[in-house]
Amino acid sequence: MDFPILSLLILIPLIGAVITLFMGGTRQKSAKITACVFSAITLVLALLVLFSSSDFAGMSESYEWIKTGFITIGFSLEVDGLSVLMVFLTALLVLLVVIFSAEDKEIEEDRPNYFHTLLLAMEVGLMGVYTASDYFLFYIMWEVTLIPMYFMISWYGGPRRHYAAIKFFIYTHVASLVMLIGIFAMGFKAAEITGGSIDFSFASIAAAMEGANEGFQALVFALLFFGFAVKMPAVPFHTWLPDAHTEAPTGGSVLLAGVMLKMGSYGIIRICLEALPKGAEYWQWVIIIIGLVSIVYGAFACIAQKDLKKMVAFSSISHMGMVMLGIGCLSYAGITFAVFQMFAHGLITGILFMVCGMTGHKVGTREIPLLGGLAGKMPKYATFMMFGFMASLGLPGLIGFWGEFPVIYAFYEFIVANDVLWLLLFCMLSLMLTAGYYLWAMQRTLFGPETTKIDLTHAHDVSKSEFAAMAVLCVLVAFFGMWPDAALQFIEPYTQGIAALFGVI
Amino acid sequence: MDFTAIFGDYTAIAPMIILIVSALILPGVHLLGKRHTATWAVALVMAAVSTVINVLMLTDSFTGSALGMVTYDAYSGLMILLFQIVLLLAVMVSNASVETTRFNVGAYYALMTAAATGMMFVAGSKDLMMIFVGVELTSISSYALVSMKRNDARSAEAAVKYVIVGGMSTALTLYGISMLYGLTGTTEIAAIAQTAQVQGISLMFGIAMVAMIAGYGFKIAAVPFHMWAPDVYEGASTPVSLFLATGSKKMGLSVFFQIFLVMFVAGTACSKIAGPEIQYLFAIIASITMTVGNIVAIAQNNIKRMLAYSSIAQAGYILIVMAVMSEYALSAGMFHMFTHVFMKGGAFLVVGALICVGIGEKISDYRGLGKRSPFAAAAMMLFLFSLAGIPPLAGFTSKFFLFSSTMGVGTEAGVSADAQWIWLAFIAILNSAISLYYYARVVKAMYVDRGEKTEKVKIPAAFAVAIAICIAGVIVLGVYPQLIFDFCETAAHTLLFP
Repeated sequence: MDFPILSLLILIPLIGAVITLFMGGTRQKSAKITACVFSAITLVLALLVLFSSSDFAGMSESYEWIKTGFITIGFSLEVDGLSVLMVFLTALLVLLVVIFSAEDKEIEEDRPNYFHTLLLAMEVGLMGVYTASDYFLFYIMWEVTLIPMYFMISWYGGPRRHYAAIKFFIYTHVASLVMLIGIFAMGFKAAEITGGSIDFSFASIAAAMEGANEGFQALVFALLFFGFAVKMPAVPFHTWLPDAHTEAPTGGSVLLAGVMLKMGSYGIIRICLEALPKGAEYWQWVIIIIGLVSIVYGAFACIAQKDLKKMVAFSSISHMGMVMLGIGCLSYAGITFAVFQMFAHGLITGILFMVCGMTGHKVGTREIPLLGGLAGKMPKYATFMMFGFMASLGLPGLIGFWGEFPVIYAFYEFIVANDVLWLLLFCMLSLMLTAGYYLWAMQRTLFGPETTKIDLTHAHDVSKSEFAAMAVLCVLVAFFGMWPDAALQFIEPYTQGIAALFGVI
Repeated sequence: MDFTAIFGDYTAIAPMIILIVSALILPGVHLLGKRHTATWAVALVMAAVSTVINVLMLTDSFTGSALGMVTYDAYSGLMILLFQIVLLLAVMVSNASVETTRFNVGAYYALMTAAATGMMFVAGSKDLMMIFVGVELTSISSYALVSMKRNDARSAEAAVKYVIVGGMSTALTLYGISMLYGLTGTTEIAAIAQTAQVQGISLMFGIAMVAMIAGYGFKIAAVPFHMWAPDVYEGASTPVSLFLATGSKKMGLSVFFQIFLVMFVAGTACSKIAGPEIQYLFAIIASITMTVGNIVAIAQNNIKRMLAYSSIAQAGYILIVMAVMSEYALSAGMFHMFTHVFMKGGAFLVVGALICVGIGEKISDYRGLGKRSPFAAAAMMLFLFSLAGIPPLAGFTSKFFLFSSTMGVGTEAGVSADAQWIWLAFIAILNSAISLYYYARVVKAMYVDRGEKTEKVKIPAAFAVAIAICIAGVIVLGVYPQLIFDFCETAAHTLLFP
């Protein structure tokens, strides 16, 4: 590989972040153009990776970074069927967020260059997480995503932003430290098994872990799983998410829900399943139950929410629970569609959070009881909201359907094999609830008589840049809904390898 | 470059000779020149010359000894470099700092240079007496440095506390050394270890060890000998706090390495003379030190006190080396000492710079700093995040190496070949999480809270340069640790297996 395309995926946003950082004063206005250019270049690179070959076999780069007598750490990057869609999603969402926020007055007035610096810095971390194939690099990039998000919330967020930001920061940092302990433990065990120095690359640790017994794998799996589950977030480690989402600016929420939560599920598949298959089998029931509880709890919590954005935040918990359930099946179909659901949820949630952000901006409140009859006044806005909600509740023909129903099918296979048919009840319950809270929310905000509780005279419809950003997402949601194979062709070869670890094809 | 032509038999102490000359002429320079800046320039240039010579000797892999007591090898060269960086940083900003303008600067720079010289002699010695003399040179100079803020009651209190505690520690150490001499008839560390192996460990030997650990424990402010540190760092002028927190403490740690690690590890022949009990003792000291430091730091409202407690915690992390007692741990510990100089030194520099522009030492004074001085605030954020161990900054990389040493890699036969110390890593990592809380408080004050004042402030140029050096150190060592780590590995090997 002569052209270091994977390194550029990390480097280009980094250069963009540094440039926008110094665009203070009179040049603040042009920061968004710079950010747009750099994130567009990144997207082009991501597309090049995506279409690099007709049958995607992945690509990798590796440079020696730190080599001491006892530790080897490489600057190793790799993209395969699991990560390629996430890389694409990251590049896409960052560009769309830049476009979407282009006409945001609040950001315009408050140091707009820093907003774009934070966005691009986050992209650096996200790209790093999704491409790293070395534990040291992975952990660094994992933490790199944290700080921009912290500032994004505490600078551009809502009224309770300080509390939300520090809660997000401490909560997820502690979780990452637990994960770090797990990484140490694996490194040590690998050195003990191979009898040499520690090599922190994914491949060599995974190879060495084959020699570790079930007890060790289960222990380390628990440590790592905790770190990832907090990020996803799975009930009961989810409490930071609704706060962070409610207070974060729209752009931050889109990235947080769209790609940052996926870091958790990505980590579970990439690290927990790949390196510790015995541990995964040991904890299978726990994963399944956490997944189920997240789905049902998230859906119930959605019904109770008054704040539209908080409702969408809880629906994220529910949908990420679906990913967890798919992973927990440890089967070919389960993992394949869990990955697909990660991708699908990333696209849909982008629309949802953009819609919620607009509600706050244009109408002035996101309180559902205060809203009503917005469809008449803001028809484009209403269309996008309906489209997003329909996609999210799994309407056939849109991408959400392919994210959810095959996972439930995989779960059905699992419960038949284990003879616990009654568990299916929870899945059915969640489907009903999901449809319920979305339709109910829609009815209360968009339809019926126009609200008189708030002043709607200043409410205006979607602006051009916002329209552009959401339209792109809607087209993709419909496209992959009609032709899921366009995404599945990347995932399937990868999951065949993973499923083989669990002896099922 | 060959320095033997210039320094002859004394090449091994060439960097120290330059500084001794400097310390002797500085009061005279000040008396004749009567200009603060001239005296400052002489002190800075002499420190820089000494640093250049040492860097050349170090990269040349020079080895040699002088006076029959001081040797120069990869270990002492690296430690000397560390002390020189500290000295350079402290001297560089002293002229610009408003805290030092009333000082007798001739004496001030002379004392600081002398203190640094003492640290360097410690790093080069293989003999208990020589170590003792070096430590005393540093300590006595620092007592005077701390007391120099003459019309500040806190400074006087700090100095008195420092003298009394320091005197106590000296007495304990000397007591321990005299007992060892009585038992073995020598003060040479390697010889003591050999004799002890032949004689076996007596009760007397154990008491002597404990006395010395306690004595030098004062120097590194290990819990429970830490009470003086916050008062002293708060009371002294900021350049002096920087010098003590990053330099003097490293000297204490170096003494631990040179005496106890060498005695218990060096040459597998005398490896097990004290058994694993001493490792457990150090493991307990390490975990208590880091935990107490971090927990008490949470309650601090004065940023210098907070940094002092965080220094205590950092010393706790480095004491992991003493528990693990492996070559790899030592190199990781030395690397952490280097990164600590830049991050803790940088943090003190920011505090000092802000005092110059009228911003106080309380955390509440830092509100809105992100808008008032973006450079100082960004620098402070980098240093604090690095101290908390957030990647990709230097503090993360060095902690990663240090904590991974508990996994038992790189241990020599006969010494803890398994991962029995991994629980120390757990405690250390939990501590890192705690520490993030109080570091994040400062970051929040700077960037999120709104301050009463909003006018921009401009920090003095000398501070800006020194801070920029520290930022470079924190980022470069974080991304490319091998720059220093290779030297640390050689140094560790040289010290333990000469």
